[in-house]
Amino acid sequence: MTNLSIIQKHLIGVVVLLGFMAFLPTVITQRYFLGEIIVFMIWASVAVQWNVLMGHAGVFSLGQMLIFAIGAYCAAMVMTYLGLSPWAALPISAVVAAVAAVFIGLACLRLGPAYVALLTFAISYMVFVLIITESECFTNTAGGCQRFFGGTTGFSRLEDLGFREMLRGNWVLGNYFTVLGVFAISFVSSVLVIHGRLGLAFRALSDSPVYAAARGLNRTRSQLVVFVVTAFFTGLTGAVYAAHFRSVGPSLFDFSTLLFILAMVIVGGLKSTWGPIFGAAMMMILVEFAKGMGDVRNTIIGVVLVLFVLLLPKGIAGLVARLFARAKTRFPTPNIKPSIPDQT
Amino acid sequence: MDAIIQIVVSGLTLGAMYALGSVGLALTYGTMRMFNMAHGVFMTIGAYAAYSCVEAFGVPLALSLVAGILAGGLIAAIMHLLVVQFMLDTQDFEINILVATAGVGILLQDFLLKIYGGYPFRQPVQVEGVFKIGNVVVPYQSLIILALAFALIFALAWVLTKTKFGLAIRATAMNQEAAMLMGVKTSKTYLQVLIIAGMLAGAAGILISSISTLSPDMGQNPAVRAFVICVVAGLGSVTGAGAAAIALGLFEAAIQYYFGVRYGLPLMLGLVVVVLIWRPSGLFGRQEVIRS
Repeated sequence: MTNLSIIQKHLIGVVVLLGFMAFLPTVITQRYFLGEIIVFMIWASVAVQWNVLMGHAGVFSLGQMLIFAIGAYCAAMVMTYLGLSPWAALPISAVVAAVAAVFIGLACLRLGPAYVALLTFAISYMVFVLIITESECFTNTAGGCQRFFGGTTGFSRLEDLGFREMLRGNWVLGNYFTVLGVFAISFVSSVLVIHGRLGLAFRALSDSPVYAAARGLNRTRSQLVVFVVTAFFTGLTGAVYAAHFRSVGPSLFDFSTLLFILAMVIVGGLKSTWGPIFGAAMMMILVEFAKGMGDVRNTIIGVVLVLFVLLLPKGIAGLVARLFARAKTRFPTPNIKPSIPDQT
Repeated sequence: MDAIIQIVVSGLTLGAMYALGSVGLALTYGTMRMFNMAHGVFMTIGAYAAYSCVEAFGVPLALSLVAGILAGGLIAAIMHLLVVQFMLDTQDFEINILVATAGVGILLQDFLLKIYGGYPFRQPVQVEGVFKIGNVVVPYQSLIILALAFALIFALAWVLTKTKFGLAIRATAMNQEAAMLMGVKTSKTYLQVLIIAGMLAGAAGILISSISTLSPDMGQNPAVRAFVICVVAGLGSVTGAGAAAIALGLFEAAIQYYFGVRYGLPLMLGLVVVVLIWRPSGLFGRQEVIRS
């Protein structure tokens, strides 16, 4: 094991996780639960990308749901107006989201962290207002007035991924594995970014900004690159969301949705690699159980956010790391390594 | 000519409300580097408190106004005592406090929704009637908004510049450690600053609801504007926030008059982005851009 690099260890973990996710449908066959796992994978993918951006690159963006919505809306519009298949819409939407991120990033990233948060938040709110106040019809189809950006109703009855014809009753499985594929791409890319050159650059920049800058690291440029890369995968996830639910609406911009995903990232632990996955799972399970108690989703999100920031600011990942460290000091492993490392 | 009067009247009204909303936000950021995402909900709470005083208890209008303002201060004090004070001086305070106050915000908004329901109410705390300047109809409420907003802002300016208490706040904002060494109890100052900001937010909420309606999410729109105003003024600059609010209020009124209400916020944001490209730390902000 010791011969493997950190990145290889993480990738083995990813393969195990993906294998487990691929195996799940053989045990869980109810369509409702499969649907919930699909939602989990979608939000986990967004949370993973957000963690790369916020935890590792230090870009405190509150515009991640805007990027997600750009992906979803773009997919819906490409399918509705150009008649493309969802499979063609996926890559197009991801690219469009990344291009949008270039502009948002250029406008925001030179500023300090609090400025970035507020400006990205304001931009998403502005887009939301522009969408819901649209009044002119773009086309008048049989279903009624279709506004160019969907207006308050959004887009519905989109073309599906084609699994209803192919797999008939088991179409959910087709969607399941499509979403799993997107989730896999997103997670692997996050591991590569976090433990690759960019992640290293950000670690150097947070350890000693001056020294890192003196060695030629450009923080703003690195942040812009990460902003665009994460936007690509967040947009892709948004597009697969549109393809799975076959509808997109302005509810994506809800403040509560943004905070729901933020809670996943915070609960899992910023600056970790695996945290957001556990955070997403925990929040999904928590909200699922709370459904029995009436409409308490937002209450739970609020309480969880406050409690975790107050008591466990490093999230579950930080807690686990601390427990490990304590276990190590209590039961030290015999040190068999030579004290001076050899030259290999 | 009428168009200009119309724009100036509605621009000043908008600007006065924005100023009231953003000055408190700027003050909190300036003194404790805390950006309060629950600020918009504080506005909503002030507005609902005033509404309840009139509708449920029949309190006179002026007293209801005071009650609404106090409610804003009270909720801010509670948030400080339960959440904020434990987070001061922790690692990554600036980002964690954004997350925590966002959590408080959604929690409080949810409570309001459960208590009052989502149905929009009319704010009873307002003055009826209109008068005319030339051909332009001006509601008395606009005058009340202007008078109250300026009175509160000048009161704040007086407190900050002329009293010992204000001196302590400004000293803490300038250099927290030096202020502590000079005998300022900074933890107490933080609580006071948050209460002031909460009260201003409560007042802003009542005024804003008086020209639109009361609803649990009414705070979001003015809060976003207050964020934008604080950013363009430079986070933490109180005078700058006031000036930027009036300027952007007039700008927005002009845009709304000539292009339609829809484009008010987008064009305002566009202007702000342009300003930030030219001055990354805002018009009046301390140099904070990260160069590398």
